[in-house]
Amino acid sequence: MKTSPFRIFFNTGAWAVLAFLLLPLLVVIPISLTDTSYIGLPKQHLSLQHYENYFSSAEWLGATWTSIWIGVAVAIAATVLGTAFSIGCWLISNRASTIARWVLIVPILVPPVVQSLGFYRFWVKLDLIDTYFGVILAHTLLALPYVSISVFTALANLDRRITQAARSLGASVWQTVISVIIPAIRPGMLTGGIFAFIVSFDEIVGVLFLTVRTVNTLPKQIWEGIQESIDPTIAAVATFLVVLSLIATAAVSLRKKTA
Amino acid sequence: MTETTDFEAKADIAEIAVERYKQGLLTRRGFIAAMGALGILPALSGKTMAATTEIIVVNWGGKAKDILQEVMCDTYTKETGIKVTVDGAGPSAGKIRAMVESNAVVWDLCDSGAGSALILEKAGVTQPIDYSIVDKSKVLDGAVYNNGVGNYVYSYVLASNPKLLGGNVPQSWEDVWNVKDFPGMRTFRKSVRGMLESATMSMGVAPKDVYEALGTDDGIKASIDRFRQLREHVIVWGSGSDSQNLFLQEEVSIGNIWSTRAHLLKDQMEEGSFTVTFNGGVVAPGIWVVPKSNPAGTEEVMKFIAHAQTPELQVKWLEMIGCGPANPAAAALVPDSMQKWNPSSPENLATQIMYNDTWYAKNQISAEELYVDALIN
Amino acid sequence: MPRLNDQTRYWMLVLPALAIMVIFYILPVLGIWEISFTEPATGFGNYVKMTESNAVKTSFILTFRVAAITTVGCLLLGYIVAYAISNFVSRLTPLMMALVLLPFWVSVLIRSFSWIILLGRSGLVNDTLRDIGLISSPLRLMHNELGVLIAMIHVMLPFAVLPMLANMRGISRSYTDAARGLGASEWTAFRSVYFPQTLPGVFSGALLVFVLSLGFFVTPALLGGGRVLMISEYITYQIQEFLAWGLGSALSVALLVATALVLLIAARFVNLKSALLERN
Repeated sequence: MKTSPFRIFFNTGAWAVLAFLLLPLLVVIPISLTDTSYIGLPKQHLSLQHYENYFSSAEWLGATWTSIWIGVAVAIAATVLGTAFSIGCWLISNRASTIARWVLIVPILVPPVVQSLGFYRFWVKLDLIDTYFGVILAHTLLALPYVSISVFTALANLDRRITQAARSLGASVWQTVISVIIPAIRPGMLTGGIFAFIVSFDEIVGVLFLTVRTVNTLPKQIWEGIQESIDPTIAAVATFLVVLSLIATAAVSLRKKTA
Repeated sequence: MTETTDFEAKADIAEIAVERYKQGLLTRRGFIAAMGALGILPALSGKTMAATTEIIVVNWGGKAKDILQEVMCDTYTKETGIKVTVDGAGPSAGKIRAMVESNAVVWDLCDSGAGSALILEKAGVTQPIDYSIVDKSKVLDGAVYNNGVGNYVYSYVLASNPKLLGGNVPQSWEDVWNVKDFPGMRTFRKSVRGMLESATMSMGVAPKDVYEALGTDDGIKASIDRFRQLREHVIVWGSGSDSQNLFLQEEVSIGNIWSTRAHLLKDQMEEGSFTVTFNGGVVAPGIWVVPKSNPAGTEEVMKFIAHAQTPELQVKWLEMIGCGPANPAAAALVPDSMQKWNPSSPENLATQIMYNDTWYAKNQISAEELYVDALIN
Repeated sequence: MPRLNDQTRYWMLVLPALAIMVIFYILPVLGIWEISFTEPATGFGNYVKMTESNAVKTSFILTFRVAAITTVGCLLLGYIVAYAISNFVSRLTPLMMALVLLPFWVSVLIRSFSWIILLGRSGLVNDTLRDIGLISSPLRLMHNELGVLIAMIHVMLPFAVLPMLANMRGISRSYTDAARGLGASEWTAFRSVYFPQTLPGVFSGALLVFVLSLGFFVTPALLGGGRVLMISEYITYQIQEFLAWGLGSALSVALLVATALVLLIAARFVNLKSALLERN
């Protein structure tokens, strides 16, 4: 490969930017291992005390568990609803279905505070404030756009003639959907489901508006932790999450490579 | 869907669900989902709490939570056998209103402020204090409201970090506005409460004349302008722990913060890197408020409030976290070494002014507008 | 049993999600409009208050400025990354791609926390710079607009890179090669042949970043030191502190309208359908 100032500029530039992206994610690791009680690099030796803190705190663990199961519930609900929706739209493929698809992605565009305000007032009327169901419902709505986009992308690569063939061989609409379309779009559904989980797992603004005391999710616990006192336990939690993300990213890139 | 909800039907379904849950026919998750779907989970948890009469007292978290628990709540439990638990969730006016309006009240008693107590009373979400149980004479003048009563006293005080200032410590609000001799960032509250007063004093107005000076639009504008001048040197604190963090992280060298937080900081910061003066401080009462239809019931909470008026306990509260006694009878019991940190000691009261509710009721909203505009870039 | 025609069956698949979205999302958000006209009193009071308030004006200007600077920053940095990934094929390309996607997996909250650790007065950046003797007194990197911008660019960067990347992957090298063959320098070929072809991707990226930045809450609230009060934070401030639901709702409506206007204007330059409906 020839080198030229042009190439050097873009190449080093790109790596510098990527370092900027990566650095803040990694910085939590040494902080979480500090032997001090305040935020700082380890002084004398590495210490696991802040991890102990995390793993022995009922509050932190409870919040983590809550976030996980809410996330799973949201992923299931959003994937089922979003997949059915996208398949329906794909089969219809007219102006009305395009409008429907626009409606479903509105949550991406509305500012989080504004939608949370709307949720709040409505959830009060429905008695859903501070309930798990209320949070799951809100998160499902926020996750639906991501599921519908991923599933639709998968559908766009599907040959319409296959479904037509199935239909002409006498399969009903439901049979076609279940045994022809769904197996073909599984990767899109999986991506959508993972997205839905992450949307729910990371969501903070809605939770701040919709929960009081009963429901405590991990982001809420972190938010309150940051407000309360900037202590290294949050860094331990953050490290935990960053390492999970590293593994997830690696897994996805490897899968892409083998696929 | 709002007014016509059939609560009886819901309660019945809930009972069925409870039964099934007990019999193991419904998983825990299914149970919670069913309750959530019916929208009665909060109501239900409220009921179970009422049955065991646990009182939930809510304050702003941190160390204050543990100390309130130890000083006031555990002593009450010992006396009466009634369990009292402190929740540090931060009972902002918004959250209290949210809870009451959504029929999901899980708090019995909240540590609020004078301004918020009035706002909440107006919004109709708090209960009147029962002064046949709570003794009015055991509360400082000016801390008695229909729907709220003083629990302790705190001040807005001038705190600074001598280490960051090279030993040169500001003694008055005038010094705080003197950026040349006292470099470094300052922190003020994200609200005019207790802040406009300091800006007014920084212009040389005598403490006793502060609210008179702030009585006119020009007076308000003048002190708002002081913040505009200083804004490049200002970081704003939103919560008490915010202000504490800013000092701990050495983000600021000077601040107008609550004396209760200052009390914690004097022990947390290294020797010689934290000092406070009550000179020009603004004394304000903390206010207990009781949300409407609280789970433990009105009477139980009133009895607890009365318990928290005990002078000895109030002194202990001061010693442990700097909450100044709201009960005048407690002043005499405060040890001399503590008087320096007591916002309601006679010496400190002499150099401070009382927070003026009437002024705030009239001017706060418009002043907040101007204040925000002056501070944001 | 009457025979359903296929169209009806298709709509039965669509309806559950659509109905939930309309009932539990669209209607509540529209409900905010109602609040803004009815609380505390019926009429335009909140809007009058809003337009008369300097604080609101300042906050809107601030919001648009922060969003604009974030957008420009993301485009500049993102373009370089997208260009390198799509044009210099090497063993490391998948790694670069993974690094672009990685931040998506980590919540905004965690990333803001990291920036608090890095940018504070006695944060890691200042400490390091002081230890190596570059500065004698700490720089002000946080609790101001600079800190908010750094963290926001970090959060938004992937949203800028991905549309540009999608666009660049579709560009054939042959035009640039032809220009080079005709004697144009690498820069000239890039500027006059390659760059114009990437504009659709740039516009999509810009739109996404700008719209998302307008409504941003977490990062400015945590890193702004209370002085970078963007509209979203201003709304929560009104509601949490003063229970001013009417004014908060009016501000929300204004923010929604502003977002919609941006999208409408953008529709002239960007294929919204491909930017939003068909992205990955």
